[in-house]
Amino acid sequence: MILEEFAFLVLAAVAVVTAISSLLVRELVHTILWIAVFFVDLSAIYFLLEAPFLGVLQLGVYAGAVTVLLLFGIMVTRKRIFSREAATGIGAVPFALAVVTFIFLVASVGEFPQGSTGIHAYDPSFLSENLFNVNGPWLLLLGLIMLSAVGGAIYLVREGRD
Amino acid sequence: MTDLPIVGFVALSAGLLAIGVFGILTRRNFILLLIAIEISMNAAILNFVYFGAYLGGTPGLTGQSIAVVLVGFAATEVAVGLGIVLALNRVKGTINVEKATELRL
Repeated sequence: MILEEFAFLVLAAVAVVTAISSLLVRELVHTILWIAVFFVDLSAIYFLLEAPFLGVLQLGVYAGAVTVLLLFGIMVTRKRIFSREAATGIGAVPFALAVVTFIFLVASVGEFPQGSTGIHAYDPSFLSENLFNVNGPWLLLLGLIMLSAVGGAIYLVREGRD
Repeated sequence: MTDLPIVGFVALSAGLLAIGVFGILTRRNFILLLIAIEISMNAAILNFVYFGAYLGGTPGLTGQSIAVVLVGFAATEVAVGLGIVLALNRVKGTINVEKATELRL
């Protein structure tokens, strides 16, 4: 087994364990800690896939901004941030649906060519050229959606609204 | 060039999507719902990055560009979601989604 495959297996196991833990622990602050580890782990997978720009973006946006925003959401909505959630249980039907989703998606692997595939490395300058020229309209759309989201979020939390 | 198995990546992203679906269906706290949605979106972004690297050339770069845009969408969704959390907490005094029933038929 080559080193990259071993690293991927370890990172994939950590990703699955941290994702499950973040949804099953009962203290919300611990959830945030687990999800931060999950985001950093995915960033490492992007570095493994020779996508350093996305790895850094994942670290900055997810492990940094989104984690702090979620922590902020917990801090302003609870009197004691370390209080526990009531256990909601696992539920047979959601668990079965998740298992069926997993089996259905993994079964689609047969549609692809089997075996290991080469991962192509990119120069980030080519990525930026593609992002700002070929896919420029999508970036503009993202900017417009972010602008409207800022307006929507301010409208939602403004004072004097019941 | 690195060699990585396609089965492993598809299984990982399918597993993350399944965990996200499970979280969306079982959790009642709005912040936990947001986290479950984030896990599902990360499964999709991982697919875009992997198949972008797998294809190579211009299609591969397009896959990574779409992944960059998706990361921005996900961050926007969290910002609006937290706006809803704050509004729900002020109106209902809780962020349990079972208490927000005004729009139900």
